[in-house]
Parts: sequence; structure tokens; C-alpha cells
Amino acid sequence: MISEQGCWNPVLETLPREKLSALQLKKFKSIFGWAYENSRFHRSLYDKAGITPSDIREFKDIVHVPKVEKSMMRCIQCKDPFPYGDCLCLPLEEVSNFRQTSGTTGQPVYQADSWQDWDWWSECWAFILWAQGYRPSDRVFIPFGYNIFVAFWAGHYAAEKIGCEVVPGGVLDTQARILKIQELKPTAMMGTPTYMLGMAETAKNKLGIDPGKLGIRRITCAGEPGASVLSTKKRMEEAWNAKVFDHAGATEIGAWSYECLDQPGGMHVNDALFLVEIEDIETGAIIDEPGRRGKMVITALDRMAMPCVRFDSKDLIEWDANPCSCGRTFRLIKGGVLGRVDDITKVKGVLLSPIAIEEVVRGMDGLGNEYEVVVDKLGDTDTISLKVELLPGNENNIGRIEAQLKHQLRLKTNLGYSIEFHDLGKLPRYEVKARRFKDLRK
Amino acid sequence: MTAQPDIEKLDEQIQRLKQAALALSEMGDQFPAVKRNTARVLSSIKMMEINVSDVVRLTEPDITLPVQR
Repeated sequence: MISEQGCWNPVLETLPREKLSALQLKKFKSIFGWAYENSRFHRSLYDKAGITPSDIREFKDIVHVPKVEKSMMRCIQCKDPFPYGDCLCLPLEEVSNFRQTSGTTGQPVYQADSWQDWDWWSECWAFILWAQGYRPSDRVFIPFGYNIFVAFWAGHYAAEKIGCEVVPGGVLDTQARILKIQELKPTAMMGTPTYMLGMAETAKNKLGIDPGKLGIRRITCAGEPGASVLSTKKRMEEAWNAKVFDHAGATEIGAWSYECLDQPGGMHVNDALFLVEIEDIETGAIIDEPGRRGKMVITALDRMAMPCVRFDSKDLIEWDANPCSCGRTFRLIKGGVLGRVDDITKVKGVLLSPIAIEEVVRGMDGLGNEYEVVVDKLGDTDTISLKVELLPGNENNIGRIEAQLKHQLRLKTNLGYSIEFHDLGKLPRYEVKARRFKDLRK
Repeated sequence: MTAQPDIEKLDEQIQRLKQAALALSEMGDQFPAVKRNTARVLSSIKMMEINVSDVVRLTEPDITLPVQR
């Protein structure tokens, strides 16, 4: 019975490492050759670097292939073949899907996918959902706007591919979605951590419904790192009485990583469909050993219409030293995506990653889920303040909570903060992805 | 873990399916329902090649080329 299989692909997901590496090299040569022959953008980049497909013979040759940055993609679009420009590798009539990035980091990037690429997207997600325990007997509710961002589209189609029953929760507002869940009793759901927490809050505070009693058993999160932040994961799991799993992907890349049922404190990279390299931020050297954080450079080995070849994702990751108890040979990145290079900023001379603040706030009893960080300048000195929401009934504990918060933040971030307490519900709520870090110095 | 499937035999069937689908695609040039549905079949076959055939053919010189339609 297929439901008893732990892996979507029991061959690839347990392939010995040396065979996986050989597969990656072979597929990299193929996709590099494809981009070289069919993408005017990539060809121009490779010609300037003086590199051709015949130069890639061993793994160590891959590092010489120039990287692609998101800013380059912005420059080449809106030209013919409209609107994708020079990186489209197939005739325009073979493009079956348009998506664009969310625009969080600047002008949205347009992404073309052929029907084969779109099938590939759901294939990548099938690895994810199967690893997280989704089976044909699941009813999956997807509270997503089904809009122009790739988000959970492929999650929907992968759930169908696996054999689940899919309930599309688009257009319904949050309260209507909760009532639909109560009515239909789905067993699984997908969403951003921000939305999962927000939905739980709405269920409890506006509808008087305990989200933990709605019957959801598993939740797949994506779009933000929260599901790999232990305190955020714990809040979601407690609110929904469900297992929460992380996944990392991107419009320009694909669905490249996933947490498995064993929840080893990291995520598997789909090493059969993606080549992940970790680059030292300072030197650019490739990091092979575990425990050293660097920037992810990634290649999607089968994506054809707009290939993703050595894309500089700006995601910070590190390899885990230990294999996973699930038996997969796909490598683990420890702690999931640890942040973004462009999110890290210097405050009072100290490098700060916003995720560290989330870990502290969500790990503190007496505080709500929402928070806001504001960095500003007073004269020549940086200031950093943290706004939090006090849960009702904790008014007498403000002094203790503030002291604990400041202590934990000092330990985690090496910085001193001024803390502002607000009533529950007073800080901004975000529908999908949150923007909680505001740097007013810029 | 259960016994590994016979991926060589799987690949044989996948390739038979592919040849049949390619032939169907050629025959469907004046038949949109056949042509477009075969395109979808060929994409599914490509997914099976990614899952099975690419490993079987690891020691062969070329990865399966993109499906021509």
C-alpha cells in the first residue's frame, strides 16, 4: 500500500550520497547547457565570464559559473518576449503560468513556467507533503488568496496529485474560513506562520472557537521562517493542537526544502531536484562542512522555461552535521533558513538578525504573538525599541516580563532595547507575510 | 524501509509510455483534444523520468532532453 511508504520517492530520497552527487553533477551540466543555449540573458553572462558547458567536468568547476541575482532579473524583464525578456528559454506560447514575486525586497520579478514546469512545481511539493504525513485520506484546507504569487498554488496541486481532497479557501475572509473548517473538518492546512497564528487568534477572540478542537492534525508553513523558530512553532502547535512543519521555497527557485515527520530541528534539501551550495559571505568560498553559516546559492535542476542556475538567494543556512533519523539521505540544513543576508543589519555596531528577536518574544509567557521592532537614530547613536502586546491578566507581571525580555534579548542579540507594552490587538496584523522590522535610519 | 522497487523495469515501461505519447502527439496535430491532453501526459512522463529514469541512466552520457512538442 503506497500510504505505508515514508517517502514520495523511496529510491531518490534514500540514494547513497555518492550517487546523489553524481546525479546532481549530471543534471547541472544539462540545465547549464540548456540555459547557455536557450537564454540570451544567461548566455551573455556566461560569455562575459568566458565559460561554456564543456568547462563543467567536475563538481569543483561549478563554482566558476557566474551567479544570478534577483536585481539582474529585474533589469531584463518587461522586454520581448514580453513580459519576461531575455531569460525565457521556450516560445512564449509554451508558457502556461505567470507568477510574480511578492515585492518584499523591491520591484516584483516575473516568473514564467511551462506546463511541464508547473507539473514540476507540484512534484516538488509532493515530496514535501508526503514527508509531512499527508496521505490520500487527508482533506486539506488551503486558506490562501489564490493570487498572483506562487505561494500555495503548487501545494494545492501536489495535495491533489498525492490523492488528498482539497478544499480551496480563497476569497473567504478569515472568519468564514474558520467556520468552513468547523463545518468540513479538514485534517490538514497550509499557510504562513503569521496567518496561522492570526487565524487562531481570530477563532478564539472573535468567534469563541478553540482552534485546537477543529480537527486539524498537520499544518505546512511557508513564506516566512517562523515554523523553524522553535517558539513560533510551539505557539502554532499549541493553538491548533496540530503538528506544524516548515518548508522553504521561492518563486524564482522552486520548492527546495522540507521538514519531515521526524522533525530533526532542520529541513531536508531536495538534493535530487536542486543543487544547494553554501557560500561564505566574506570570502565567497563554498562551505561543505557543517556548522558554518553562509549564503545559499541554488540551482533548480529541472526547471526549463526560466531556468534557475546558481541563483544567489541571500538566504542564510548551514549544513547539519547529523543525518536524519527518518533515513533520508537528502542533507539537512540545521534550523531551517536562519535569516536573510539583506535582513541582517548593524545596530550600535552589532550585527542583528531579526529572527533572533522573534525567538525571544514568542518564547516569553505573557506576551501576544505580534511585535514590532523599530531602529532609529538619536544624534549619532542608534536606538532600538521593541513593541509587544501584553496578554490580558498579566498587568501585574509587567515588571518581571520586561526584565526577562531585556535579559533574553541581551543574551540572544547582544543589544539593549527599550520595551513598549501595548494591549492585545493594538499592533498591526498582517494577512500573509509580516513586516515587523522597521529601520527608520534609511 | 521496504524492498527497493525494480527501477530498470519501471524505466522500461516509462519509455514505452513516452514513445506512445510522442506518437500520439504527432497524430494529434489536427486534433486539439488529443494534442493538448498528450502534452499533459508527456509532462507527467517527464516527472516519472525525473523520479526514476534519471537514476537508471546515471552512467549514460546525456540526461533526457526536454520533451519536444
